[in-house]
Amino acid sequence: MSLLELPSNRAEEWRWSDLSALPAYAEAAPTGVVPADLPWIDCEISGPRLLFVDGEFDAAGSDPRGVKVSPVRDRPGTQPLADLAGAEARAGYVIALGANGAASGLVQIVHVSTGGAAHLSNRIMLQANAQASVVETHVGTGWSNLTTAVELGDSARLMRVIRVLKDGGAHTDFAMASVGAGASYAGVALVTGADSARIEHDILISGAGAYAEAGGALLARGTQKLEGVTVLRHATPLGTSRQPWRSVADDRATCSVMAQVKVDRHAQKTDAEQSLKGLLLDRGAQINAKPELEIFADDVKCAHGATVGELDRNALFYLESRGVTPEEAKALLTRAFVADALDRIGEEAVRSACYADVDAWFSTSSLVPSEVEGRP
Amino acid sequence: MLKIDNLHASVDGKPILKGISLAINAGEIHAIMGPNGSGKSTLSYVLAGRPGYEVTGGSVTFFPPLPLAGGAGGGPETASEAGPPLTQFQVNDAPHRSGQAGGLTDLKLASGRGIDLLALEPHERAALGIFLGFQYPVEIPGVSNVQFLRTALNAQRRARGEDELSAGDFLRLARQQADALGLDMEMMKRAVNVGFSGGEKKRNEMVQMGIIDPTLAILDETDSGLDIDALRVVGEGINRIMRKPDKAVLLITHYQRLLDLVRPDFVHVLAGGRIVRSGGPELALELEREGYGELAA
Repeated sequence: MSLLELPSNRAEEWRWSDLSALPAYAEAAPTGVVPADLPWIDCEISGPRLLFVDGEFDAAGSDPRGVKVSPVRDRPGTQPLADLAGAEARAGYVIALGANGAASGLVQIVHVSTGGAAHLSNRIMLQANAQASVVETHVGTGWSNLTTAVELGDSARLMRVIRVLKDGGAHTDFAMASVGAGASYAGVALVTGADSARIEHDILISGAGAYAEAGGALLARGTQKLEGVTVLRHATPLGTSRQPWRSVADDRATCSVMAQVKVDRHAQKTDAEQSLKGLLLDRGAQINAKPELEIFADDVKCAHGATVGELDRNALFYLESRGVTPEEAKALLTRAFVADALDRIGEEAVRSACYADVDAWFSTSSLVPSEVEGRP
Repeated sequence: MLKIDNLHASVDGKPILKGISLAINAGEIHAIMGPNGSGKSTLSYVLAGRPGYEVTGGSVTFFPPLPLAGGAGGGPETASEAGPPLTQFQVNDAPHRSGQAGGLTDLKLASGRGIDLLALEPHERAALGIFLGFQYPVEIPGVSNVQFLRTALNAQRRARGEDELSAGDFLRLARQQADALGLDMEMMKRAVNVGFSGGEKKRNEMVQMGIIDPTLAILDETDSGLDIDALRVVGEGINRIMRKPDKAVLLITHYQRLLDLVRPDFVHVLAGGRIVRSGGPELALELEREGYGELAA
């Protein structure tokens, strides 16, 4: 990587992005040091596990079973960082299931980035009635740049959870999905780490009666800049879509969500809902929410809501008057706030893991220097 | 147990409490009555430490009761607080200057165990054993009663150096208290007060009190919004949980009806931010008959 052409903040869809650190990561060399304790989720039926280190498949640390690892190259030129990932990535994971197929348990991908830039290009292809649940967990300190192509045949079902639990660094994640008739795509992101992160979905509802969801929880503190971006296009009738985003920003952090719904002229009886809610834990923090609707059909139900608020003082006092410490009270109420987004995760083990991540985010906050507490 | 001395407090710069003095001893139930706007709820919030309620003068000292001696079959007598039992309470016509210790020695309570309540955070006051029953219990979507109360109880136990309660033990305790107050255990698993009727919210306050088992309960119009049956359940709950030699209650109410169930030892009339009259249970009957008119004037 010698030349990195980054999108400009002048472009509307990049206006809240912070890509300033990416060139430095592109030049830096990774340390390659993999932590001993990786964030695998314990499930009743253990499924395929794939470990990637700095964008390269680590066979020794993996148990891929039916999941293949091979180069994924045929990217359409839709988004500059995704194109870069497509061009630079070596071999990504490919989940391909034939009609009526099902993955043998939860598919887990752990990606460690140890300092430089790590590009990954993946593909999930589910034919009619096939079904899979995938969890990608990202740790480390470098820049991970991912692109994932998702194709769901008729009545296929995919749950895709992205956990960004990094200790720093950057995370840029682009997924392009096409959802067939009666199929269901649910993308839920939980971002607690990374100095800057952008989780982006471009979803096309291409078959009648399909369901698509893209949302999640962004938890930011310090000077973190986290971002969720969704373009969700209904091209066929009777589709349903949901975009539940919950942003929590403390200190001087920024969370931004840009969510678009586009309803084509023939996509009658579309039922689309956007719920973008923000919670400021400090008045120095910033939350941006931009719901957008573009509707060309006349018989649709499209709801959108965007709110930003603070923790309810009455609720805090009620909890504290019963003996709950101020820190615990804040954590309880914040956990409840993000629950709307995380409760949608169907797999119990994954949901519990995400709640544990949220709790961990709060327990590390007590390690933040006291100047954060004492600031006016 | 609690000594309020010439307490002044303001809300948004407006003085509400204008010199309240009151002593509550272990084993006593004090009722506070008074017209709307007299400062009753403000007093309860100041005692619990609600932000925005600014104390501008006076002191509040809490004297935790001594632990029961040895636990060797002690009757009610042995459970009373150390020192002679008190029959006096301070009323407004004998005010103590704030910051002076003289009042305390008069009351034979100054044994070095007094805690400056106003210096503590709300959760620290709760850990001392102080419970505020809210007039308008707060709804908290997304946090279940069980989760909330277990967190609260264990935070209190930690603060007191006790072991935390296991999930199983906690659920048993919660079920027992919910049953005793006629609240369906299923409601305990739901979000705090969300979708509860007014009466259910008040019952829930009492269930919480039963689970937390406080030393001093300040109950702010716990009887308001209750039908006759619910009132009886709540009144019996207060007696069952709090009518003990090592506990005390400050009961804020408008109506005689609750006082028929929970017999107070003392009744005080609060008007214009001061206690204008104190007496025994007969005072409540007099008020019920004649109203606050003359007293508040």
